[in-house]
Amino acid sequence: MRRQTCSFVLAAVIMLGFTGMNEAVSQGIFPYKYSVVTLENGLKAYLIPTQNPGLVAYYSIVRTGSRDEWEPGHSGFAHFFEHMMFRGTKTYPGPVYDRLVTEMGADANAYTTDDYTAYHLKFAREDLERVMELESDRFQNLFYEEPEFITEAGAVYGEFRKGRTNPWWVLFESIQNTAFDVHTYKHTTIGFEADIKAMPTMYEYSKSFFRRYYRPENVVLLIAGDIDIEATKSLVEKYYADWKPGYVAPQIPVEPEQKGERKVEVKYDGKTLPIVAISYKSPAFDPDNKLAVAGYLIENLAFGETSDIYKKLVLQEQKVQVLGASFDKNRDPGLWSIYAMVKDKADIPYVLGEIDKAVEKMRNAPVEARRLNDLKSRLKYGFLMNLDTPGKVAGNLARYVALTGGIEAVDRLFATYEKVTPADVQNAARTYLVKDHRTVATLKGRD
Amino acid sequence: MRTSIISILLLAAVAAGAFLINSCSKMTKPETVLLQVKDDPTVSFRIWFKVGSQNDPAGKEGLAALTAAMMTEGATRNNSYEEILEKLYPMAAGYGASVDKEMTIIYGRTHKDNLDAYYQLFRDAILAPAFNEDDFRRLKSEALNYLEKTLRYSSDEELGKAGLYNMIFKGTPYGHVETGTVEGLNAITLEDVKNFYAAHFTRNSVVVGLGGGFDNALVDRVTSDMRTLPDVPYEEVPVSKPKYDGQNEVLIIEKDAAATAISFGFPIDVHRGSKDFYALWIANSWFGEHRNSSSHLYQVLREARGMNYGDYSYIEAFPNGGRRQMPPTNVARRQQIFEVWIRPVPNEMRHFAFRAAVRELQKLVENGLTEEQFELTRKFLRKYVLHFAPTTMDRLGYAIDDVFYNIGESHLAKFRRMMEELTLEDVNTAIRKYLHFQGLKVVFVTKDAERLFDQLQSNEPSPIEYTSPKPDDVLREDEEIMHYEIMIPPHMIHIVPVEKMFQK
Repeated sequence: MRRQTCSFVLAAVIMLGFTGMNEAVSQGIFPYKYSVVTLENGLKAYLIPTQNPGLVAYYSIVRTGSRDEWEPGHSGFAHFFEHMMFRGTKTYPGPVYDRLVTEMGADANAYTTDDYTAYHLKFAREDLERVMELESDRFQNLFYEEPEFITEAGAVYGEFRKGRTNPWWVLFESIQNTAFDVHTYKHTTIGFEADIKAMPTMYEYSKSFFRRYYRPENVVLLIAGDIDIEATKSLVEKYYADWKPGYVAPQIPVEPEQKGERKVEVKYDGKTLPIVAISYKSPAFDPDNKLAVAGYLIENLAFGETSDIYKKLVLQEQKVQVLGASFDKNRDPGLWSIYAMVKDKADIPYVLGEIDKAVEKMRNAPVEARRLNDLKSRLKYGFLMNLDTPGKVAGNLARYVALTGGIEAVDRLFATYEKVTPADVQNAARTYLVKDHRTVATLKGRD
Repeated sequence: MRTSIISILLLAAVAAGAFLINSCSKMTKPETVLLQVKDDPTVSFRIWFKVGSQNDPAGKEGLAALTAAMMTEGATRNNSYEEILEKLYPMAAGYGASVDKEMTIIYGRTHKDNLDAYYQLFRDAILAPAFNEDDFRRLKSEALNYLEKTLRYSSDEELGKAGLYNMIFKGTPYGHVETGTVEGLNAITLEDVKNFYAAHFTRNSVVVGLGGGFDNALVDRVTSDMRTLPDVPYEEVPVSKPKYDGQNEVLIIEKDAAATAISFGFPIDVHRGSKDFYALWIANSWFGEHRNSSSHLYQVLREARGMNYGDYSYIEAFPNGGRRQMPPTNVARRQQIFEVWIRPVPNEMRHFAFRAAVRELQKLVENGLTEEQFELTRKFLRKYVLHFAPTTMDRLGYAIDDVFYNIGESHLAKFRRMMEELTLEDVNTAIRKYLHFQGLKVVFVTKDAERLFDQLQSNEPSPIEYTSPKPDDVLREDEEIMHYEIMIPPHMIHIVPVEKMFQK
């Protein structure tokens, strides 16, 4: 897999004690020229000048998410830790950090996903050095006391409570828990409620979490916007070169092959239209694996707004209010899900049957070449039209960086899309949309 | 017929919206707002119709939103909805409608490569909607489901905010959510939709907004097309002036909620363009900047006490706050409210959280900002405004709002200028003029409403317990908060089961 190759190259660079900068002109879909800085300690920074006068977006991507919460009882910790990163350092305690960011008028926030955690600021060009000073400081020297840690756990529980009222959230929490036996994708990013309740007792563990994962070889910077390449490179070296490596890889259990369909009935403590979902085990992201890349296209070809089943169930028969699919890109084998919000619970078996028919159709015959070409065009324009601010450029690249360690995967993915044929899509359906590898979930609310 | 054109050219070198404004004299084409952006490979459309949920006839609440949905999510006379989706698909383009109290925007964006094919479809949505029975049934069902299921049960925060607006504007054209009411939607017929379209989507209510890499030929084409809309006189709806009685009033929306969402506020008469508005913006930003950890309320409730996820305040409508970071555009209103949003707190802390927030508001009203707070907030806003409109579509939205509010120099330009010119005295004068801490309208979304009723009307102490040690100053302040008095007479506390919300 390409990801392993990237890691190998990186290791070689570290052994040679090499600090390098490569200038790249994308030969593929990515429209901007960019430079890559690699420090001796393993930190990589992508510098991407764009035509947005005065504005810069600064993303620090930590390649650790809820996937990395492998120790029992610690689900939700990556997200909780994201909160703690705003508590400051001895040099810049939280209130001072807040004040400085406020003075800059920066749009600053962070988010955590299954595969990574992203800290992002958007700000005026002249504040780049101050931002780099602050960000490099908190990533190397985070400091907080136990009472602050316990207080923050309350805010995380508050976040859990606000999400709990959403039936989709409840459904996918249950699907993940059912579909996986040992892999950490078993829990959602926010974590199991019992683990969230126990967070206030884990002060010591939190420091170990920081020591293991917040290391330069596990972090990639994306700096996009109105920047000068040479000056920015010097700043990266100035502020990040002393950061000590020491990443400890998580011991994530490998999920055994699923042997047999699983079903789960989910109760939602409110009123909602029923929701059904079918989730298939999916391959890990690899932009060069044509079969897996062909699989991503099924999401849209079989269940998008122009699919036969959408026309039938949503537009013509109107038995379904929402129909869609989410064939996510994940670092490890994850889930590809198809879902429908059904207007009448008596129609649930019928809707599940129609989804099965749509899957069978993909497995039994190649898609029309015209539809595949239309989708390739859609993907291309969709990607290009969403790169109109520095924040969108960095934000749209973040997941690819997290999964592969770099942004080169984008060009490779789109190149692979171009090679996919109708027969590849059919093969992908036969390979991945397998009944024994799926979980069928039905959520119902109160009558 | 409109008699002026406002043509706005974006200077590419000034990212956040420095505009040249040209007014032309007698013209027969619709009013236009134009933002040409050199090198932008896309074209953005925002076609503004001066109609919104305030135009819904009594008993047919939801008609404006359903009509706009029928235009943008249904068939046209030239294409079935399925054909439209097929044609838009390879372009990765789409169009839609946003309906607020006073404005409807038909918006869309396409890559220049696909402009001709895209515009054919976009134009048909406005000029040639088919109004099919099948689309009507589908879209009406979606709207009903939103009210009956999603808003009542899936997001207590949005429920609380919608409840607050309905409460403040009860009896006025603003007094229902844009989607409508359950009974209103059930009463709407397809004929109602056709009649509403004919009456309100006219050449006299339209303003054409174009942004990005378009040329003059497109301007001519769009404005000529919009001239073919019916020539029906535009009638302005009177401003929704809420009755204000100066008393605190509470609505408890009762449901089996795991946590309590709280919203409160009151009407304010201040708008973009006036000096007071920008002065109040500084005060509000210090007090409750949206999703920003530096805001004072956030510091008091979340940061010091860990009670919830966030606490914010607003002086302009800010719908869907949970899903956006920066202020929205094209929700311009002639009547605004000051609004505080307390994200869900544990049920046992609801009374304390409410007291703490109102007490902070009282301190703001009585003490104003200090010089240091004023300078820090002003410094923040000078640059934070850069993030308000990073895209052409955003800037086009602001430019349209400038027309709504009749701001000649543009809101964003004036905002930046005001950050330089305003003084601490200006800000504190605006606080005293527009904000108060009595006569609040308050919504709780919670369970065990009777218990909360007793707590509120009796002003009984509301002690708080923490799971971690807190500094002495926090504990001392807690003593004051738990005894803080907010007078709410029993007859001003209403309990409504969630099933009855948005019914009529």
